[in-house]
Amino acid sequence: MSTWAILTDTTLCTGCQQCVEACKRQNDLGKDVARRWKRRIDALSSTRYTTILRRPGNHFVREQCRHCLDPACVSACLVGALQKTPEGPIIYDSDKCMGCRYCMVACPYGIPRYQWEKPIPYICKCDMCYERVKEGGQPACVEACPEKATIFGPRDVLLDEARRRIQDNPDRYIDRVFGETEIGGTSVIYISDIPLDFLAFKPELGKEPLPDLTWAALSKVPALIVGVGGVMAGVWWMIGRRMKLAEEAAGASTTAEEMAPDSLKPPQSSEKDEEK
Amino acid sequence: MNARLRIVKTVLWALIGVLTVVTLARFLRGLGATTDLSDAMPWGFWNAFKMAAVALSAGGFVVAGTVYIFGRERFHSFARPAVLTACLGYITFVVALLYDLGLPWHIWYPIIYPQVHSVLFEVAMCVMLYLTVLLLEFAPVVLESPWFDRPVFRTVHKLLHHAVIPLVIAGIVLSTLHQSSLGSLFLITPYRLHPLWYSPIIWILFLISAVGLGLMVVTVESFFSAWLFGRELRRDLLSVLGGATSVVLFLYAGLRLGDLAVRHDLGLALDGSWLAFVFLLEIFLSALIPATLLLFRRVRTSTAGLGICAVMTIFGVAGYRFNVAVVAFERRMPYFPTWMELVVSAGIVACALLVYIFFVEKLKVYPKEPKSEPAEASPALKKIDYWPTATYSLLPDSLGAPRRYSLAAIIAASVVVAFLPHAVLSGWQPERTPVSTTRTLDGWMQERDGEPTHEFFVAALETPVPDGAERLQLLMIDGNRDGRLVLFPHHRHIAKLGGQKSCGMCHHQNMPFDKNSSCCQCHRDMYAATDIFDHALHVSKLRGNEGCADCHQDAMAIKNRQTALACAECHEDMTVADSMVKPSKDAVKGMAAGYMDAMHGLCISCHEQASTERPQVYGSRFAECANCHRDVDGTLFQQRKPYVVGRSERP
Repeated sequence: MSTWAILTDTTLCTGCQQCVEACKRQNDLGKDVARRWKRRIDALSSTRYTTILRRPGNHFVREQCRHCLDPACVSACLVGALQKTPEGPIIYDSDKCMGCRYCMVACPYGIPRYQWEKPIPYICKCDMCYERVKEGGQPACVEACPEKATIFGPRDVLLDEARRRIQDNPDRYIDRVFGETEIGGTSVIYISDIPLDFLAFKPELGKEPLPDLTWAALSKVPALIVGVGGVMAGVWWMIGRRMKLAEEAAGASTTAEEMAPDSLKPPQSSEKDEEK
Repeated sequence: MNARLRIVKTVLWALIGVLTVVTLARFLRGLGATTDLSDAMPWGFWNAFKMAAVALSAGGFVVAGTVYIFGRERFHSFARPAVLTACLGYITFVVALLYDLGLPWHIWYPIIYPQVHSVLFEVAMCVMLYLTVLLLEFAPVVLESPWFDRPVFRTVHKLLHHAVIPLVIAGIVLSTLHQSSLGSLFLITPYRLHPLWYSPIIWILFLISAVGLGLMVVTVESFFSAWLFGRELRRDLLSVLGGATSVVLFLYAGLRLGDLAVRHDLGLALDGSWLAFVFLLEIFLSALIPATLLLFRRVRTSTAGLGICAVMTIFGVAGYRFNVAVVAFERRMPYFPTWMELVVSAGIVACALLVYIFFVEKLKVYPKEPKSEPAEASPALKKIDYWPTATYSLLPDSLGAPRRYSLAAIIAASVVVAFLPHAVLSGWQPERTPVSTTRTLDGWMQERDGEPTHEFFVAALETPVPDGAERLQLLMIDGNRDGRLVLFPHHRHIAKLGGQKSCGMCHHQNMPFDKNSSCCQCHRDMYAATDIFDHALHVSKLRGNEGCADCHQDAMAIKNRQTALACAECHEDMTVADSMVKPSKDAVKGMAAGYMDAMHGLCISCHEQASTERPQVYGSRFAECANCHRDVDGTLFQQRKPYVVGRSERP
């Protein structure tokens, strides 16, 4: 079974913000309040999981969690509070969260938000209305859209639909399904008449999923443990033996006790002082 | 005790006093109130500070390895201070982490909910295990003190004695992993970290630079104890350490620059940008200059030379961590650490230093000096001490130590309370978005296609003015000056609503002796309601306490806004009788709605009425958003307001 996905066609969006209101009602988010850590009151925030970005020339682009197929935030979370469900949505378990905010650092789209104003803060982000969708419903934002600018369905079906729309109207769209392959692909995909580079930190996104980059270093850990440990033990043994041999050759009468490495005795000079 | 030590301790205790206040602020009011962190910059100064603390602790494993694994016994005198520093460095890391974590009481969760694909999991495990190893390595120093002269402790002591080599090897392995994994943390941010800092081998660079830094920290520590406790400097040994540092730093710089060259990003360092400058400063300070200087024997053997190199390396390598975590990390909002973030870091360091001093004074951390008086300043440093000690002292010498230090802490704490921001003292308020006044512009208008209404343009922007277009003066309404402006034909409204007599229909409430106060005089905030009632003024005008009952007429009721007389009941001249805006019954008295709510509330109701009652005159789209908000015309734009602070809500 293909995973669930959302296709947003920015050419159909009129910017009516009904999706925003539906999302707020669904997640019981309340009103937005101007805060120092928000650039604008209508940007994504802990009380706004989806928002409409206005672009010059009356273009409206709905921003939300992209629910990546191989998500950086999930690989970053050290306690597994963020989970990629088999159905596609990335869900958050606030009971496990420790508040390290590595997911916010890791997300290439800068999506997760934090409750900075609270003494007991949690991560806030879209969960594709996981509970609703599991019971056969649609995400609240999709259901609310009066223009069918954002639709919900299996990812491969929506990809075909996106390609069909581009083929039918090649003049209307940029020939690219945003989110098809970027950083391993996303579950929220876009077709658009304007470039959507501004939705990520860099205009050119590679195809490689980000978790692979950290795994390249992490997978070396067992080898490093054995390697460094082994080399250190070997060096210790070799040097100890060489010193012993040197002493024997010199016929020194140094006792083994003095040779023994220890941190227990006070350092040598003090020992000498005491002997004096 | 020498005067210098006493002054240092007084300052450290004062910092702890400050830390106490800020700690309360941090945990009672949250991260938003005390830091400049934001959704755009989730990690900030504390994170850089933690990474620097770990790097500064690298001396522990480097020296332990040199002494125990490589059998260089002559460095033994450095081992204990280095292990103690490492111990305190890691404890500093953990304590700073408690401040930085949103839910610090979940700090142990990685043990029960492990997620091995996270680099941060590796970091967490390494910190826990390495801190244990460090404590075990340092335990003998504590156990040998007379306080622990019991059979149980002697057994433990003996066991630890046999475990030294395994412990040191474990320490080296864990340090290698941990120093490098702090770099690996940023492998996942190729799109956010500047290419001069992002590298697939960033974890190797972190490890090597930490080794170089660790060696220099050992050097600085020797200086510090010489300065503070008057201990002898082992110049011969420090010179060897300096030589080793030079090699390590050259290796680091070579790898760093080589990696950039291989990835063809070396040119970025010379592109003249701000970050390129930071990069050059960092690489020269952290590696190239000290490594080159340390090649010279004269530098290595001189106190000044070694000291300068050590300070450069420490600032440079700590700067590397700081640049990766903060400066070169892409963010869409400015970030600058608040003084509270800096003070927390300084306060934790102060605690660590006091513990360090305590251990040095009470335990055999340093080898015993041949001289009889360890407290006496060394001859080389003694000559600075010509001032009488009292001039150094912030507090009189006659005070005993506990009183002096508690007094310093309390004074510092009370001073710092005065600097706490509003958000800490009285909780979070919505951010103010002050409203700017409307401006008058020259404009022109044109009939709208297929509608009986008009469209308005700014003459200066939309040139040339077409023939036949009527010129007129327009008001530019753009309260928060974000460019989404509404052009308002004031004169046409006056004409439609009935000339001079109609002012009061919109200007529903006026300042004393005024007939048309502008909207933003009361609706002062873009989103939040504004308190326009001046209680103090009323008290003074109404003969002080005599006047309470003038407004609070119900003697039995609690005296607050709800039970007071409404403003209009006295100020009949201020409130216009036939205005379209009627004071709402449940509105809080003396509160003006946010500017956006006020304008929408005033305009939309009248426009809706006009378009439903007289569509032949105004057209069917007279009440739509696009009628006034010109930049969104042509679409079915329905401006919802799920984000607005309620109009009757008190701020």
